[in-house]
Amino acid sequence: MKYHLITLGCQMNLSDSERVSSVLESMGYERTENEEEASLLGMLACSVRQKPIDKVYNKIAQWNKWKNKRNVVTFVSGCILPADKEKFLKSFDLIFQMSELAQLPEMIREYGVVTPAGLRAPQPMMPKNEHIAEMWHIKPKYHSTYEAFVPIQNGCDKFCTFCAVPYTRGREVSRPSTEIIDEVRHLVNQGYKSITLLGQNVNSYGLDKNGEEINFAELLRQIGEYGKTSGEEFWVYFTSPHPQDMNREVIEVIAVYDCLAKQIHLPMQSGDERVLIKMNRRHSMDKYRRIVADIRELIPQATLFTDIIVGFSSEGEAEFQNTVAAMNEFQFNMAYIAMYSPRPGAASYRWENEVSSADKKDRLHRLSEVLKDHSRAYNETLVGKTVRVLINGADRKTGFSTGLTEGKLIVRLDRQDHSLMGQIVDVKITSAADFSMSGELQEVFSLSNQ
Amino acid sequence: MQPKLNAMMNLIKHEIKIDESFYKIEEVRQLTAETFSLKLPKARFAFKAGQHISLGIHGDYQSREYSIYSGANDENLEVLVKEVQNGYFTPKLRKLKAGDLVEIHGPFGKFGMEPKDAENGKFVFIASGTGIAPFRSMVRTYPEIDYTLIHGVRNSTEAYDRNEYAADRYILCSSRDKKGTYHGRLTGYLKGCTFSPETHFYLCGNSDMIFDALEILKDKGFERDQIHCEVYF
Repeated sequence: MKYHLITLGCQMNLSDSERVSSVLESMGYERTENEEEASLLGMLACSVRQKPIDKVYNKIAQWNKWKNKRNVVTFVSGCILPADKEKFLKSFDLIFQMSELAQLPEMIREYGVVTPAGLRAPQPMMPKNEHIAEMWHIKPKYHSTYEAFVPIQNGCDKFCTFCAVPYTRGREVSRPSTEIIDEVRHLVNQGYKSITLLGQNVNSYGLDKNGEEINFAELLRQIGEYGKTSGEEFWVYFTSPHPQDMNREVIEVIAVYDCLAKQIHLPMQSGDERVLIKMNRRHSMDKYRRIVADIRELIPQATLFTDIIVGFSSEGEAEFQNTVAAMNEFQFNMAYIAMYSPRPGAASYRWENEVSSADKKDRLHRLSEVLKDHSRAYNETLVGKTVRVLINGADRKTGFSTGLTEGKLIVRLDRQDHSLMGQIVDVKITSAADFSMSGELQEVFSLSNQ
Repeated sequence: MQPKLNAMMNLIKHEIKIDESFYKIEEVRQLTAETFSLKLPKARFAFKAGQHISLGIHGDYQSREYSIYSGANDENLEVLVKEVQNGYFTPKLRKLKAGDLVEIHGPFGKFGMEPKDAENGKFVFIASGTGIAPFRSMVRTYPEIDYTLIHGVRNSTEAYDRNEYAADRYILCSSRDKKGTYHGRLTGYLKGCTFSPETHFYLCGNSDMIFDALEILKDKGFERDQIHCEVYF
């Protein structure tokens, strides 16, 4: 009895898929990467862009053809817009919200049963997260033995005009801090080295509990205190933060504790005030500038990552130049730059998509060039230095491995040794490239192995 | 038989329980030919004046965000809607009548002030069109609040519920007729104003108005932290 699970989109879906796997394997299903031998076929959909949704439609069309030849049951969950949900009801056997995951075994056993998510009227259109805690109680089946994602929050209340997430994941709900810290402890005890706290807006953590839960800075501090006493070397990251709720207190805490990774991902989206207003980002460039100044002051060694959208509605060349200027000002180590594409369900879908595809491509290219310069310049400062690197894979080039620094910079290593996988080692940087560095292994050192 | 019947009735009641996100419209209050308010039962959630909700029509896939038009302690939850010609959503809202169901989620957002600040601060509210909604909520929630409301509209008929505001606190900027306090765009009025340095500004309306007003206030020397924005789409 085998299942095949396709996970599209962000790390949040990846984290959710670990819990889906856990539920299915507790039922006796065995995971297979070969969909043709699976009797249970599932997808975790992503609605951030049209492309992954198209993939869901293509895949279910293929799976439904197989039903003429053999018995298969199909399901879909993840981020699904109400309009897509209505269509999926006709093509998938089961559709459920992640908050209903605990009931998945029952749904599969009684395949064909109408699930709460599948009910028609009067079914609330926006997902309700009141039972999300049940999903968090499910122990995940982690994909990796050294890198894990820990959900701390689900949903989004920000309503950025380019994004449909509030309509697919519902409003922000924070996971109890005791559960989060327990999961982090458990992972560290199991030897995990890289732990990412996940949420759509991690900085808003706890705010939905009206004083009955600690805030994000305190959550980090408690994890930091645990890290201090654990005797283990591990790095804790978080994503995604929103500049609106990012504050100096969070940065102060990161500066104090070794286990809180000195890498900050701070989505800017645009460097132009008018575009930010149009995006309903609820933060100004002044606010963003202050946060970066605090990071540079309190954690000068921190790497800074961001997200940028080019070609958003109303972005002309002048507005784009403000983004270029911001890129030069903040000198990001990495930027995930996306060309704007209107997403059904998001407010901006109703507006004219006035920037041509050619202009978007051109801006993406120009901004990538700026990023490349800053990334290389920073990487060059590390040449000759020895840095800690978490080895996470084999390089395409035979005989080489790859890894990430604490700041999530890519390092190629002139050695391939499977025993190093998942270990944090000392690497002397020998050369720098645009988005990566090369280095030599200095010694194998892991506190957990002492 | 009676206990059995009661048990059955309870089961049926349980099965047909309507989700608490659904609200039955009590009244559609027509304010102008195009603008109306939906008067709903008292909110089933606590909210702060200035916050918004997500409003959906029962049976429709789409929803829109609306600032709450009523006060936090009012007996009814109210939203202010202007019909957009050839729009998708507002013409459907326009057809709703008392007894119809709408779906409400929220509250969302941080636009607004803390109650203690509302008692002590000095505020200028700047709204275009239905962007007046959160300010009515604030004024109803904090009756003692020290405010000036600058409302930009095309025609003076769009001065929604103007009698609820003290005459010396409500400035109507009407661009197409001369029946307002000021004839012209609100940004024109704003340029000629002076404000005390400790004033906090709350801006709500379309993004162009907000951006222009923001620039004017920054030119007058106010810090960005004193200027709070809520954009309407």
